[in-house]
Amino acid sequence: MNDKIFLRDVVGNYMLDIGSKDEKIVVVNADLMGTCRNKNFVEKNPNRSFNVGIAEQNMISFSAGLASEGFKPYAFTMAPFMSMRACEQVRTDVAYGNKNVKLISVYSGLSGGISGPTHWAIEDCGIMCSIPNMIVVEPSDKIEAEKLLNISTKIEKPMYFRITTESVVSIYNSNTKFELGKANIPVNGDDGAIICSGVTVQYAIEASKIIKEKTRKNFKVIDMHTIKPIDESAIIEAAKTKHIIVAQDHNVIGGLGSMVASVIAKNNLDVDFKILGIPDTYGVIGHAGYLYNKYGYDTEGIIKASLEMLLK
Amino acid sequence: MKSKIIQDLENKSLIIKTNLLNLATKESIHIGGDLSSADIMTVLWQYKIKYNIEDPKDENRDRFILSKGHASALLNFEQSMLGCFKEELVYSEYAKDGGMFAMHACDLKNPYVEVSTGSLGHGLPIACGIAMGLKLKQNKKNYVYVLMGDGEQSEGSVWEAAMNAVKYKLGNLVVFIDNNNLEADGSINDITSLGDIGNKYKAFGWNVININGNDIESIVNAVDNLPKSDSEIPTVVVAHTIKGCGVTFMENNVRWHAGKISQEQYDMAISSLQNKGGANNE
Repeated sequence: MNDKIFLRDVVGNYMLDIGSKDEKIVVVNADLMGTCRNKNFVEKNPNRSFNVGIAEQNMISFSAGLASEGFKPYAFTMAPFMSMRACEQVRTDVAYGNKNVKLISVYSGLSGGISGPTHWAIEDCGIMCSIPNMIVVEPSDKIEAEKLLNISTKIEKPMYFRITTESVVSIYNSNTKFELGKANIPVNGDDGAIICSGVTVQYAIEASKIIKEKTRKNFKVIDMHTIKPIDESAIIEAAKTKHIIVAQDHNVIGGLGSMVASVIAKNNLDVDFKILGIPDTYGVIGHAGYLYNKYGYDTEGIIKASLEMLLK
Repeated sequence: MKSKIIQDLENKSLIIKTNLLNLATKESIHIGGDLSSADIMTVLWQYKIKYNIEDPKDENRDRFILSKGHASALLNFEQSMLGCFKEELVYSEYAKDGGMFAMHACDLKNPYVEVSTGSLGHGLPIACGIAMGLKLKQNKKNYVYVLMGDGEQSEGSVWEAAMNAVKYKLGNLVVFIDNNNLEADGSINDITSLGDIGNKYKAFGWNVININGNDIESIVNAVDNLPKSDSEIPTVVVAHTIKGCGVTFMENNVRWHAGKISQEQYDMAISSLQNKGGANNE
């Protein structure tokens, strides 16, 4: 396959690009500039960079204030602190006022691995999706992350970026079309659909290849980069295969799977359906790869679940 | 002898307090804290703040954030007195289904609310962002005013912002603290051991002014002598006030944090207000 890519490097570095095109873009950190990899923006634009110290709540309210004056703040921290430590500031100061603040969260899901549960964010998607006005996205590769960041500069609404710290691979090329709220389909197929986002997209693509080798069945891979608003038509289309598996780096409650399930229920879709994710537990300590395997949403886990569903 | 400006503001404050009591006969409002900060709010809204009622987003306006968002009724009456909307609207739209005003300052239907508030400890951090935004835009003329409660000082986010304001040299930021010594459950010092608020801000590097927050002349004197908006140190005005100020049966009485009053209580309250003309004119 190809080289490993780390999306926090991609996103942090790309801030310089979007920042150079728009003077209103400002970066706000809470003492995790290094972790969030936006140092090049900060060094190049010291007057448009703020570091409020280890004070995530203050970072979000401060960003809301800047947005109130017409600036376009990109606030960076780890996903657990963005979605939980600063949750009420996100909800009340950003979302309630519909302020143009972009929330860039690294360490999504279990990608924090051996840092332990304080640094995991297995609840963030559920929290953010339930907040009115909030757009929730989770890029899966470099091109997608950059396209979504570009799109974010044109949308004057709150937006939550879920960024894994695990490595990803290249999936798209620069000609791939991207639209907010419209899923990408890196692999086509009629026998089943794997709906995924972020780190799991690469596993789903690999799994679909192996499923085809083993069974001659074609599983479609749906990269649901926009988790909210979700692409309903892509799910309705996927249901025609009669098999939908969701693979997500999130608690099984409240993540992409829950969003897909609500579309299935709303449209009364006749389909076998399974959500792969963290089984509502803080579980055990381990590297991300070990945890993904244990909870069955890496390549091996997706293959196993797909074959089980086909044999049913 | 008092100047005409002071007398005029005292009269306006009396009208605001009367309106609050009138509204309290119809709806439950945070009457105690409304009355303690009515003099501060009247000086700010009817005297100090640069504001264009034709355009609530006018770039050259002073920004005002009601961090103690539960004083929403007071803000609404101040805005109506300034001419933002008719006073009758407050009576017909406050806490009504589909109405314009909530019990906490809300910008969904009232464009004159700078930012929605109600959850405590949010106003100051947002104001820091706004004050920083003004500096970035080279707006050196306008101030950002915040009104906080004293009980609100328990919120950790207040002190996160207190550090931030000094670091970013937000001399355009002016915070009033309505220090009425009571919060919802009782006396501040029983509940939080807050101690000397001014000294705490001083230790954080703020410019601290202590005033009698129920004396119009003291408040006017404070706002007339603020550091310039392009200065570099944020200012906190610790306004020593009385909860329920002006209404004898409400003064310093935690029972009147919020509530509704009967017609009889209204009559008593009005006569008390008229006799005192404010608690500090003895």
